[in-house]
Amino acid sequence: MIKLTNVTKRYRNVSVLKNVTLNIDEPGIYCLLGRNGAGKTTLLKSIAGYQNITEGQIQVDGKEITPSTLDTGISYIENFAKHFNLPVRKLLQIASEVNPNYDDEFASEMMERFELDGKKKFHHLSLGMKTMVSSIICLASNKSVILLDEPVLGFDAIMRVEFYEMLTESFQKHPRIIIVSTHIIEEIAKTIQKLIIIDKGCIRFFDTLRAVETKAFRVSGLKKDVDAATENLNIIRQDTVGGLVTSYLFDIPPIKTASLEIHPMSLQDFFIQMVGHTGGAKQ
Amino acid sequence: MTAIFAVIKRLFASNKISFILTTVVVLCATTAGDSQIALSNGNYTWLLAILTPFFFVFYDYIKLIHLGTSKKDYFLGSLVGYGLTALIVSLVNTCILVLIDPLNQTQTVLNLMDLCGWTDNSMFTAFLQQTVFLLLTMIFLHVLLSMQPYWYGWLSDGVLAAIICIFIPVAPLRHILAGFFKLIMFNSTAQLQIAVCLSLCALLSLAGLAVLKKKSL
Repeated sequence: MIKLTNVTKRYRNVSVLKNVTLNIDEPGIYCLLGRNGAGKTTLLKSIAGYQNITEGQIQVDGKEITPSTLDTGISYIENFAKHFNLPVRKLLQIASEVNPNYDDEFASEMMERFELDGKKKFHHLSLGMKTMVSSIICLASNKSVILLDEPVLGFDAIMRVEFYEMLTESFQKHPRIIIVSTHIIEEIAKTIQKLIIIDKGCIRFFDTLRAVETKAFRVSGLKKDVDAATENLNIIRQDTVGGLVTSYLFDIPPIKTASLEIHPMSLQDFFIQMVGHTGGAKQ
Repeated sequence: MTAIFAVIKRLFASNKISFILTTVVVLCATTAGDSQIALSNGNYTWLLAILTPFFFVFYDYIKLIHLGTSKKDYFLGSLVGYGLTALIVSLVNTCILVLIDPLNQTQTVLNLMDLCGWTDNSMFTAFLQQTVFLLLTMIFLHVLLSMQPYWYGWLSDGVLAAIICIFIPVAPLRHILAGFFKLIMFNSTAQLQIAVCLSLCALLSLAGLAVLKKKSL
């Protein structure tokens, strides 16, 4: 349903997206992970048709998406989205009028659940509440592709949990492609089906969470033992501390021996190893 | 249709400031009593036509898009909004011309509808001529304002400024400029004026659509 072919986006001489090719062909909740400045927002805005790309092609449901597309069928929301300074209820009502497939029931239910004061004007809401209103509008629009750019920014822990529940409920009610970009990795893991990791404008990883759970391992031990056990396997990175080596793999688990320590990687560890390092250890 | 109607409603609702400002100016504008000529207060209703595109372009566009409005609905909603605004302004000014201006018996009241020669025709035709001229003005402003964030907007500003600066002092060019305004504004031949204004509206709308298609957020 979303097809990106060799997409490049340059701002003057700086490439923010580099030859990105990505096919998202089934409904699901996708998590877009990346460091600050990795190109997450640029990627989402390009898919939404909010900005031009320098090279390549973006198609959604077979339709080419550019800023020239007058009706994209995509809903994109950023956390500092500008809205009319109207009472929340009025804002949601306008959203229901301009979006043909708007789910009024869902929007009202979410408003109650998050204790949003319908009479309160948008500019008087806290950052978290503003983001919540934007997210509700985006999800209730029921467009075929929903893009949420850092939706949990400004949320407290309880709001974040509630938000992930809302995301799941919305998807169950209307299965479609929902892409959520975030930095809070572990929390969203229960909600998502697939993971997209972007780094320095390139897609580094696109697979299911199950793949991370079954294929991402940390193997530690003496260099010769680790090298022997991980030979011909896909090593993401390797750290060396003294004579000990830790290899981070994305492959079948190596054969366990007494001299090796093999542990599955958490999602956060996997992400860190894919896009960078924590510092301290020799790489 | 519901979406376009909702866009029109919102465009009008957030144009309150323009309505209030215009109303205040229309109600408060006065001409010195000792002057032989008085400007009709109806002339100031045109202020609404000038202010409206600023709100539609700079205030409403991004907010409507963030609510999920498609560019298509925004574009059509804006055009209908301008059409309705032109009708309202024209209707109010025509009413002032017919009902209020004659009350001033001591001065010659000058209304732009008279000045443009539209009242040489029937009042209904004059009303239509004024409507299409105001529609043209609003669509022109809409296109010009939409282009401002881009280089071609600044280029257009430069070209317009150059036209004014070069065409006015040079007599033959001044005649061309005057001829253009005689065609779209100071024209008592209703069919010609309406046809030219509507044709220009269509052309400018297409230009506006092209600008909208290039607009990024």
